[in-house]
Amino acid sequence: MSTPSATDAIETGSGDRTPARLETDPGKARQRRPWLWFLLPFLVPFVLFYLLPIGYAVYQSLFKIQRTGGLFGKSEQVFAGFAQYADVFADETFRQGVLRVLLFGIVQVPVMLGLALLTALLLDSAVARLKRFFRIAFFVPYGIPGVIAALMWAFLYSPQLSPIVSLLNDVGTAPDFLGSSLILWSMANVTTWTYTGYNMLIIFAALQALPQEIFEASRIDGAGGVRTAVSIKIPLVFPALVLTTVFSIIGTLQLFTEPVVFQTISTNVTSGYTPNMQAYAVAASNNYSFSAALSVVLAVATFILSFGFLRFTQRRGEAL
Amino acid sequence: MIHPRRGPSPAQQVTPSTPRGRRRVVRLAALLVAPAMLAAACSSSSGSDSGSTGAGAGAGGQTSAAACAPTGGKVSLQFWTWVPGMDAVVAKWNAKNPDIQVAVKNTPAGNAGTYQNMFNSLKAGTAPDLGQVEYDTLSSFRLQDGLKDISGCPGVSDAKANFVDWSWAQAQVGGPGVYAIPQDTGPMALFYRKDIFEANGISVPTTWDEYAAAAAKLKAKGIAITHFPQQDANWFDGLLWQAGAKLFDTSGDQVKVSLTDAKAKQVADYWQKLIDGKLVATNLQGFSPDLYKAWNEGKVATWISAAWGYSTIRDNAKATAGKWAVAPMPQWSAGSKAAGNWGGSTTAVLSSSKHPAEAAKFALWLNSDPEALALANEKGGLYPANKAGLELPALTKGVDFYGGQKVFDVFKEASGNVDTNFTWGPIMTDTNRFLSDGFTKALNGQGTLGQTLDTAQTQTVSALKSQGINVAP
Repeated sequence: MSTPSATDAIETGSGDRTPARLETDPGKARQRRPWLWFLLPFLVPFVLFYLLPIGYAVYQSLFKIQRTGGLFGKSEQVFAGFAQYADVFADETFRQGVLRVLLFGIVQVPVMLGLALLTALLLDSAVARLKRFFRIAFFVPYGIPGVIAALMWAFLYSPQLSPIVSLLNDVGTAPDFLGSSLILWSMANVTTWTYTGYNMLIIFAALQALPQEIFEASRIDGAGGVRTAVSIKIPLVFPALVLTTVFSIIGTLQLFTEPVVFQTISTNVTSGYTPNMQAYAVAASNNYSFSAALSVVLAVATFILSFGFLRFTQRRGEAL
Repeated sequence: MIHPRRGPSPAQQVTPSTPRGRRRVVRLAALLVAPAMLAAACSSSSGSDSGSTGAGAGAGGQTSAAACAPTGGKVSLQFWTWVPGMDAVVAKWNAKNPDIQVAVKNTPAGNAGTYQNMFNSLKAGTAPDLGQVEYDTLSSFRLQDGLKDISGCPGVSDAKANFVDWSWAQAQVGGPGVYAIPQDTGPMALFYRKDIFEANGISVPTTWDEYAAAAAKLKAKGIAITHFPQQDANWFDGLLWQAGAKLFDTSGDQVKVSLTDAKAKQVADYWQKLIDGKLVATNLQGFSPDLYKAWNEGKVATWISAAWGYSTIRDNAKATAGKWAVAPMPQWSAGSKAAGNWGGSTTAVLSSSKHPAEAAKFALWLNSDPEALALANEKGGLYPANKAGLELPALTKGVDFYGGQKVFDVFKEASGNVDTNFTWGPIMTDTNRFLSDGFTKALNGQGTLGQTLDTAQTQTVSALKSQGINVAP
């Protein structure tokens, strides 16, 4: 294909310059086309299942339902501008839900990433034994589907059924893991249990990629294991920590599975416990526009928080 | 049908050996398909949201009430239901009616995703002809123009007298039309541990005051008289129904919301007193393994529940066989006989059906034919809304688990004492959600049930407004 068009271009090019360029363009475009084919497998689903739904949610959030002819009269969607967004920001349930997941994140993310960093450093240390076994063992919880994990923990927390609770009751008194004051932290424990291994693996991979010469140098300079970890390894895997933090912030704001599962066994989870649950409940009662507005606000908040964190750490990196 | 929010109680009835497993599976399935359904919601509504849903389909549903003639020829109908064993009942129909063939699709319970699926398929134009819809959700379907008025279809209007009065009234959803055929009901009564009451010298409470007094005596023995189920707002609705509360008035152009009705407040204040006195268990979720354990261990002594509840106890508190009995609900004034209702559902003809006359004919047969009723009761545990169905052999004999007591006699009497004028709100899914959210606070001592009603009132009014519904001030 490309050969004839190329010769065409040369032949016409010998005459006038301007038309020659016009003639060459289709030929060159055909030559360039392969990149497009390689992109398609990504682009098509990305547009269909990512950009379009998001665009549609934004579009839908700008409408409201109007009804004429009494209670069961005709209904139609009319443009309402940002009215749904005004409702979102005025919504007490939403505000409480956001505050709840933020509180959850502020406590849970540092604890989880601290544990992940610690286990990664331990696995990476020269004295560690059975490295492969522990690497898999730490990672296994991540392989368990979220609903199953939440169910399992719900049973372990249950005041009536849990062997742990009854054991604690035998030796003294057991806390009410599913009570109103502890249940959020019981959920935090489930997510920590699930995702520590996953984050550990990312940090561990970053540690493994570090050049060995640095550690030889530090050994020669007389640095021990702990000193090497604190002064050399942690600063060098800082980008991996930033990445896992961003993932965790996103995951925290989308908290859904644990509270929904716990709802079946505890009396302390409301329908708007997290913003995601609220959006789900509102959609289930056919208020799509409000649900869309809730989702868009949540997405924007997630975007601002995660990119805000990235910018913050990058600036800090430059300052160093 | 049956248990209004969770629905899986019929599953427990047919599979007594694995009720917990079944429930879990149903719930799990609901969770797993949830994201898929959200995606479906996005894509399917794209074309129709801005116009056709309300306007086009609505006009048909509203005005063509009278015209309902059989289309004739060979007709095939789709029917979505979550009653176990319904395919066996339908097989009987199909054998007798070669020209009207019905295909059953077994779905998860309504609020576990099936309603959402129905709403989406209505928008997409792929909805079934017939669907199982609970009484309190019929209004939500009418709001989405999801139901066909079948009052003009052959045989429908004449069938009115065959059904329990309130069930037919609710199938009319406030209008002159008829939008569904009642399937089953859940008249309420008091399940109580006969042995515990006798051992402690407590007589069966006939009034709510006596019930509270019994609660105090049981508390001294470390037993909770009942649990307050945070998720079962429709259980609380049943209590309000018994008290004669008028929560909604949908007769005018404007909807009147009165969740803070004096009778409703009376019920709320009563239960608040029980919660304050720590006389009821506040940490046992309804239908949870925790509750069943507490039942088995004799830590909870009563359950105010519906007719279908007999199998919930039977299948989940096996250790207590022969120890339970059933008595009428306690009363607000001595000597009266009011009962509430919890759950039950209808067979509705959805607005997209091209063969409403045939669909209505099938729905009538399904819920009136003695053979069909008997089979649905046997396989699915349905407590029929059809008056003749209450005389089924299975519903007139003693039940072993209850020491041979003819428990259904109690429910039959209760069925006749259910207030026929109780009206559901247009968006009960929302109202019940607001109630449940308020219960959480009340159970934690962060609020009261009275405040729950106040909050649910405000929230319901604003949710109605967001659906474009006029609310009376």
